[in-house]
Amino acid sequence: MEKRTFQRISDVLWEIPRAYRADMRVPARVYASEKMLDAIMRDRSIEQLVNVATLPGIRKYAIAMPDVHEGYGFPIGGVAAVDSDHGVISPGGIGYDINCGVRLLRSQSTLTELQPILQKLTHSIAREVPSGVGRGGNLKLKGDDLERVLRDGAARAVEMGYGDRGDLERIESRGSLPGADAKLVSDDARERGHDQLGTLGSGNHFIEIDRVDAIYDVEEAERHGIVRDGIVVQIHTGSRGLGHQVATDYLRQMTKAMAKHGISVPDRELACAPFRSSEGQRYFGAMAAAANFAFANRQLITAGIRRAWKHEMPDDRVEIVYDVAHNVAKLEKYPDVGEVVVHRKGATRAFPGQPVLIPGSMGTASYLLVGEQKAMEQTFGSTCHGAGRVMSRTRARAEISANELRERLQKMGIVTEAGSAKGLVEEAPEAYKDIDEVIDVVATAGIARKVARFVPVGVIKG
Amino acid sequence: MFEIVPHTADVRLRVRASSIEDLFREAMRGMFAIMQARAGDEVVRRRIAIDSIDRTALLVDFLSDVLSRAHIDRAVFDDVSFESLTETAVAAVVTGRGPARFEQDVKAVTYHEADVRLVDGQWQTMLVFDI
Repeated sequence: MEKRTFQRISDVLWEIPRAYRADMRVPARVYASEKMLDAIMRDRSIEQLVNVATLPGIRKYAIAMPDVHEGYGFPIGGVAAVDSDHGVISPGGIGYDINCGVRLLRSQSTLTELQPILQKLTHSIAREVPSGVGRGGNLKLKGDDLERVLRDGAARAVEMGYGDRGDLERIESRGSLPGADAKLVSDDARERGHDQLGTLGSGNHFIEIDRVDAIYDVEEAERHGIVRDGIVVQIHTGSRGLGHQVATDYLRQMTKAMAKHGISVPDRELACAPFRSSEGQRYFGAMAAAANFAFANRQLITAGIRRAWKHEMPDDRVEIVYDVAHNVAKLEKYPDVGEVVVHRKGATRAFPGQPVLIPGSMGTASYLLVGEQKAMEQTFGSTCHGAGRVMSRTRARAEISANELRERLQKMGIVTEAGSAKGLVEEAPEAYKDIDEVIDVVATAGIARKVARFVPVGVIKG
Repeated sequence: MFEIVPHTADVRLRVRASSIEDLFREAMRGMFAIMQARAGDEVVRRRIAIDSIDRTALLVDFLSDVLSRAHIDRAVFDDVSFESLTETAVAAVVTGRGPARFEQDVKAVTYHEADVRLVDGQWQTMLVFDI
């Protein structure tokens, strides 16, 4: 594809017209600066976005956020809203890590108070929250316990003693998606997930202790108890093996169901079924159950962090600021298109006034934003989800030395607790886009507003 | 034979073999090479029987089942004995060792870019794994 294929809508919005390819049902739109667009065009993100624009029932546009990068089927950093009566649901538009998301906590301390015990605190958190590939935790859910986590999400975790009712007010959808049906979650999925509640996993998942580095909107920041030089904690993880298995199970069912429904797609990973069909509804119920597992997972991890905090900082208190999902499908209504199934794959809901959490790469900044009305008009109430990878993990391992990276982070005053050197280098800052540029694009586009910026002081990785 | 090929966020595996059975076997070994698996001495055998819409989907679905068993049983599977293998169905016993530890998580085997073909007498495909 050549750059001239794009029509420039504004300094940060580009459109590929529907006429570009005969099977496109809507145009494709990319939020990016011109410099970022040049970089985005180096991988297959745009080709994948055009494929998304062919989905039956898709409304208005297939949308890519500035953190977009090549995925499989859908690009990561994509949004697709599909008519709920006449369109499809596609598990690939949510991804395998269902309800991968971010939770932001705040403490009452400042960095000056925390500094003397930072190393110990980071280590305590790493001890309280198991991490690593396939790693299980101390809690083994069985029978009714697992059913109730799948049905009620974070609310069940609170009932089990991991937090209080007030926590639920500060979680997207109060930590429980409606329509979750535990019966639709396979035995394999249950087996993969039964001992993983309260665990971080590996890959790009992390816990990060941050210092509030800048405040852009004092009133909004104060509303969330965020002050300059205050300490916040980010949790980035999802539904672990249970969610991976749910996605695998239903993608397989959809590849089989497509012929029956007379649907063909340009990429098998876009396999889908009409939302109102039995296959569509079954996936939606199972996906919601896996999403609830993820909300409960972040609730248990919060409890682990609170235990560590209490041990090292007995007089401090850790509260939830907000929790967002960035891999999920939701039924939402918009004035111009009616009810749609909004697929967000590496994209965050950004309803007006809603806190939006955007983690950067390790060693760089992260942001608290707030959603704007323009997001409702332009992006189905959505914005970006992170920095977005630019370097493969293979290249990162070949080019970056773990020792050099550790030293560099240490010089920046960042304490690290990493399960493996490999995991550390794969997530090095240079493997990602510049988060500040990503945020500037969504702020300029008016879909989200900057509230505060955080920089890391302690990182825990699987 | 298999070869691990870079991908911006995930990982690609190019697989070639002289028979379709070997393609399945090599793809399975390639997947565990990505996972950088280390296993103990306990022998683990699991039967896998599935049907799919075509040969490409069958390979992806077979690998997905092996991956699920690997996570659930904490095992590394390095060989497979086929009871039957057609264009749309496979019944096989996979053999491996446990307990296993994986350095790299593979969340799932995707259908993206998968295309099992016979080219110049060699079976081949690309596979993309979500990591």
